[in-house]
Amino acid sequence: MQKLLTSQKHGFLWVFMFMLLLSSGSLLAQNKLITGKVTSDSGETMPGVSILVKGSTLGTTTDIDGNYSISAGEGDVLVFSFIGMQTKEIAINSSNMYDVTLETDISQLDEVLVVGYGTTKKSDLTGSVSSVKAAELTAFPVANATQALQGRAAGVSVQSNNGDPGGSLKVRIRGGNSINASSDPLYVVDGFIGGTLPAPEDIQSIEVLKDASATAIYGSRGANGVIMVTTKRGKIGKAKVDFNTSYSSQEVINRIDMLNANQFLDYTREVIPNYVDNGADTDWQDQIFRAGGIQNYQVSVSGGSDVVNYYVSGSFFDQKGIILNSGFERYAITSNLNFKASDKISVGVNLLARRTGRDGVVTQEGSGGAGGAGVVGSALRFMPDLPVRNEDGTFTLASIGDPIDNPFAVATERQQETIGDLFQSNFYLNYDIVKNLSFKTTLGFRTDNNRTGTFVPTTLYAGANVGGDATIGASKNTDLISENYFTYNLDLNTKHKFNFVAGYSFQKSNDTDWSSGAQSFITNSVSFWNLQGGAVQKIPSSGFSETQIQSVFGRINYSFNDKYLFTVNARYDGSSNFSKNNKYAFFPSGAFAWNMKDEGFMKDVNFVSDFKWRVSYGLTGNQAIGPYQTLARFSNSYTIIDGVAVNAVRPTTVANDDLTWETTRQFDFGADMSFLNNRLNLTADYYRSVTSDLLFSVPLPTYTGYSSQLQNLGKVENKGIEFTLNTVNTTGALKWNTSFNISINRNKVLELPDGNDILYGSGPGHLIGLGQTQILRVGEPVGSFFGWVYDGVYQQGDDFLPGGGFEQVAGGEKFRDIDGEKDANGALTGNPNGALNADDRTVIGNGQAKFIWGLNNDFSFKGFDLNIFFQGSQGNQILSYSLLEIETLSGSNNSTTRALDRWTPTNTDTDVPKRTLQRSQRVSSHWVFDGSYVRLKNISLGYSLPSSILEKLSISKARFYVSAQNILTFTEYKGFDPEVNYNSGGGAASNRNLGLDYASYPNAKSYTIGLNVSF
Amino acid sequence: MKNLHKIIISLGLVIGLGACADLEEKPIGVFAPETFFQTPKDVETAVLGAYGVIASENLFGRQFICALQFRGDMITIGNRATSAERIQMNDFNMDSDNGMIRRFWPQWFQAINAANSAEAGGISLDLPDNEINYLIAEARFVRAFSYFHLVRVFGDLPYINFPVTDPTSLKTISKTSEAEIYQGIIADLEFAKQWLPNKQKNDVRTRPSAGTAASYLASVYLTLGDYQKAYTEAKFVIDNKDLFGYALEANFENNFNANIADNLKETIFAFDFLGQISGSNGQNDDSLVPMLAVLNLTGGYGVSVPTQAVYDTWDARDYRKKVSFVDTLVVNGVKRPYKDFSTPRPHVGKWVKLPGNANAIGRYSDHNIADFRYAEVLMIAAEASAEINGPNAEAAGYLNQIRARARNWAGTQVDFPADVMPSMSKPEFIDLIIEDRRLEFAFEWKRWYDIKRRNLGEKVFLGPNSLEPQPTFDPSRDYLMPIPDSELRINPNLAPNNPGY
Repeated sequence: MQKLLTSQKHGFLWVFMFMLLLSSGSLLAQNKLITGKVTSDSGETMPGVSILVKGSTLGTTTDIDGNYSISAGEGDVLVFSFIGMQTKEIAINSSNMYDVTLETDISQLDEVLVVGYGTTKKSDLTGSVSSVKAAELTAFPVANATQALQGRAAGVSVQSNNGDPGGSLKVRIRGGNSINASSDPLYVVDGFIGGTLPAPEDIQSIEVLKDASATAIYGSRGANGVIMVTTKRGKIGKAKVDFNTSYSSQEVINRIDMLNANQFLDYTREVIPNYVDNGADTDWQDQIFRAGGIQNYQVSVSGGSDVVNYYVSGSFFDQKGIILNSGFERYAITSNLNFKASDKISVGVNLLARRTGRDGVVTQEGSGGAGGAGVVGSALRFMPDLPVRNEDGTFTLASIGDPIDNPFAVATERQQETIGDLFQSNFYLNYDIVKNLSFKTTLGFRTDNNRTGTFVPTTLYAGANVGGDATIGASKNTDLISENYFTYNLDLNTKHKFNFVAGYSFQKSNDTDWSSGAQSFITNSVSFWNLQGGAVQKIPSSGFSETQIQSVFGRINYSFNDKYLFTVNARYDGSSNFSKNNKYAFFPSGAFAWNMKDEGFMKDVNFVSDFKWRVSYGLTGNQAIGPYQTLARFSNSYTIIDGVAVNAVRPTTVANDDLTWETTRQFDFGADMSFLNNRLNLTADYYRSVTSDLLFSVPLPTYTGYSSQLQNLGKVENKGIEFTLNTVNTTGALKWNTSFNISINRNKVLELPDGNDILYGSGPGHLIGLGQTQILRVGEPVGSFFGWVYDGVYQQGDDFLPGGGFEQVAGGEKFRDIDGEKDANGALTGNPNGALNADDRTVIGNGQAKFIWGLNNDFSFKGFDLNIFFQGSQGNQILSYSLLEIETLSGSNNSTTRALDRWTPTNTDTDVPKRTLQRSQRVSSHWVFDGSYVRLKNISLGYSLPSSILEKLSISKARFYVSAQNILTFTEYKGFDPEVNYNSGGGAASNRNLGLDYASYPNAKSYTIGLNVSF
Repeated sequence: MKNLHKIIISLGLVIGLGACADLEEKPIGVFAPETFFQTPKDVETAVLGAYGVIASENLFGRQFICALQFRGDMITIGNRATSAERIQMNDFNMDSDNGMIRRFWPQWFQAINAANSAEAGGISLDLPDNEINYLIAEARFVRAFSYFHLVRVFGDLPYINFPVTDPTSLKTISKTSEAEIYQGIIADLEFAKQWLPNKQKNDVRTRPSAGTAASYLASVYLTLGDYQKAYTEAKFVIDNKDLFGYALEANFENNFNANIADNLKETIFAFDFLGQISGSNGQNDDSLVPMLAVLNLTGGYGVSVPTQAVYDTWDARDYRKKVSFVDTLVVNGVKRPYKDFSTPRPHVGKWVKLPGNANAIGRYSDHNIADFRYAEVLMIAAEASAEINGPNAEAAGYLNQIRARARNWAGTQVDFPADVMPSMSKPEFIDLIIEDRRLEFAFEWKRWYDIKRRNLGEKVFLGPNSLEPQPTFDPSRDYLMPIPDSELRINPNLAPNNPGY
């Protein structure tokens, strides 16, 4: 070892001396000072362009104004290079001044992509990776950069879980690979596994790792794909200041036509003849919706030298929600510093400090019973003949049905505030041990502190019952990560190139939380800040959990002649969450790519610029299990004896010592193609992934005392094809680029415990009796809707099917009898039995899209730029509990104008049943809608000042723009918005409950003006 | 050389960090069953856990007791805009997917599993009988109590009397017959009667004593029609009433007054709900009062409301009628007759009038919701005695104790209801006892069991004098509720479901 190192050292010395000789050689050749200016083909000055005297190490970069000066002699060649631009060579002749224009490089092959524990050129890539650049992430203001991925990358689906400001998102890469565990992708921010994304303006690029070859290096956390986030760095050159700001005005995307007071009175008196008119005519949607807005500001300072570079950015995002009293704000500071401590050692640190604040209103309520209705739910249900306030100034309560508060009261009286403070830092040290061998160690730390306070004052029903209800809770989650790995490059005969990565990683996460509450206050004015003033103290709670993961990982890349590329990845993960019999897991993958264009037979095929085939296969995992889930448990049982709470426990969980991770096996076959001098780029992929050992809460017969046990049973499959097409349609003065991506995914349950259907409910709790409305069934997609087939309305003289709880009257709901006959053993035969019951339920739809797509067009002409971005989803269905609730025409709430077409003895040609109070709320095909949509996500027109004016103002860039988001949506769906996700947050619900709608905060449409300035 | 040094340091860092990860889990706030039971105190902690499971929304807080109320002829649906599952429970047209059943069925088995775990934990300590059997007896009492309710509601059903550690192995079991389940119940109650103390600590009635076990034995035997044994057990309790601390409360209304719920001599077994507090998973959450309370004037749900006939047929001279009903309300100083109620009928007054420390609509009340009162022991003794010997003075005497108490109109002696004389035919006398039970225990969850036990369904739902006509009542189907459909799907060996479902 020592000897090898010594000889290497000598090698360095020789190279160094040789270079010195060379440079001194050129010094000898009568050098002169060459100056000039570098501009881009669009006329912008270009700072930071690297200029090298060819064949030497002499070089410089352009300054902030694009000017350079370098010493060179006649006959030398200057090489101008800049990422994203074609490299240009200029031969020095007698002139001393050379202005250079660099052309945009439309070939993406030299594009550098970030992958796990390293980077790769796109041409060397063997896996399936999509990349989204800064411009797309900041095309319009978003609270979270992930939101900006919607429609931008093939295979990536992004949906808001609820439309509220600062609300969470559902991100799926190539479908949901799990049923009960999270299918959320893994986020890696500048190498920090599970890191938090900074503001969108601070992100340089996002790479989405999709196939096993790319994700297996993240082992037991890679199964759902990996989103690699790279933040911006300073570039060599003078300090550069960027200032971006925008203002958006927002309004609700759509409204629902409800009955007005007169119509409501008719509708109600049909069944409650003595219903008393309350005299008002209130449009409750008018009462809760308002013009919202987003202000977004970001300023960054960046720059650097050979030794150090820096990027410091501050941003402020402030959204006023389109529903009264809702909003979100975010302050963030991002800082990236990199130092070259010596020739061999570089260190750096990434910092993110963020404060978020969220004022929430209740939407998507889990149960909207007495006092529980949320703002949107109540706006649809509440009686239009009631005013906002009674004569005595109190807020009106529902006049019939469950006592719910009016939506204005819910929006304005209830307080719900969440404040989050996040600090994330990631330090690295990179040590070039010897030539081609380097060692990198990182130490990351993150702490996320959140405090949520809620107060329900006595002006609301729920508060009045208890004299006001206040809760305050906090959580503190910390993450510590250390990653250490070696990278070694080896070239043999220039034909055989190897790259090795090997490392060790350790990560520890602590989650803690505590909360307390009180009721019965003297006044409503103290909100949740005076719990001690409550006459009734609620039971406080606290919790702690810890997870540790340690891993070794490695990768070998081998390329032969740059033509045949091989990659092998593996990770060996140990996790504390796993059961005692299965603490460690191994995840290997392999990939092969073939640059076919480099073959002789393709040489003369001129219209093909590049053609690469890729194939990969590998295993990745999903930790699936939460801390302590494998252990049997007694938990506290709240028992009162003699008027006081006593220590008591009850069995709550039964053990499974063999519980293990979920494994996804993914096969990917794809091609990267470029045609017509790289003006047309096409990437196509086919994949099939099967996740086995699915963690299941296997339903137990409840007579065991348990409702379920976690077991590794079952399989789910996702397969699909994806295409990404980028074209350069025109160049020159009018530039027109198009990018289009489409993802077709099919999700299917392959195996379930014992092959049995699993039924579960997903509806709001107060729609009592809906029962189990969804099904997991082999051969069907996850989250299929389960209910009766609606056959319209019974007419006079029809044969009414008998069945407990089913209507047998003209004007009643008519369902189809499809099953129920039983054989001698009591098993169903699949034949109708002439009666309706639970056996007549069937799969009536699912929320999985047939395909999703995005289409982006960028035009630029002189200083103008135009962007038109469409995004859509096709073939997904929606089960609307909202419409079920208000259009069943049974309950004691308002209805939509569809009720005007209800069945009456004189209006029989309709599928809307008659008004009644006797009808069960029942999930049927009546409430399943086509959720397909096409949406003009963004349209934006910008103008950049020409450099002639900029120079006078001594700024380098100034762009003004106007844009609009979500202003056009084409859909058949009758709810607020087809982008729905009720009851779909977190773990199991996020996979099983797709395409459900209930009382969601609707999305907004926006009109934006903005300014980008650099100087 | 210098480089090597650095490599070694780097590797050291790597290995050093690795050494701290043993990946063992050390959970906080949860207890491992294998190591939990060390002392009798731990067994007691596990037994007590079962009470919290029963004193919950799904059982004695609302669902189970409300379902029994709906089934009987004393309470029907008031606000018919309420959920269909309740209407179907009341109207005898439910299916095997009824939501009320889906809630209370699993909850009973959680209580049973808790009791089974406690029993096994007690046995595992291997202590002398006199040091541990009183706790094992308590666990067995809880199991017997739970199965007694279940078997009356469902008939044959799975009977599990051991802690479940491998639930998968129970996926294929068949139903146990009613007769066998009753054997288990009786064995548990006999053991409980033998080993439980005569009084629990502080004389609480929310844990069983030997008297509690004997009282339930009396009820079990009465249900089985074994009147001799029913009489013997009831007589045993009456004879030892001082030992057990049992007596009729002087004022009938005391039994429904949450403020004094912890000190009632009449309570034999109850579940203690603490006011204004809710535990997790619906524990300590009682909604009985809002279910009964007037919808528009008190903010209650007005769901469970008697028919007008129940009110009209009840003699107004009976103090118990006054206690049992709310027929006028004073709202903001204005007296509102029941005609002004959203369901314009008298509503239930028991529990509703005196919920103690509760929220404004009476939820999270301070009631101890009783399943058994001493009055019922007297009633059982009377009925069993009359069944054995025909009308007799002793039996009439038991009834008259209850009637005498009813004549105490909150401190003022009235002369209604008069004492009964055993001078009538046996069927008349038995009918009289059943009728006295109906009024004494009005709206408590006794009536449905009496209807079932005495096969009165056709009379009380289809007969000319029905208080609550239910034309769909079908005696071949409706004396049993269906086992939840979901259970049969997981375990087809439970098929067929009860007849008619």
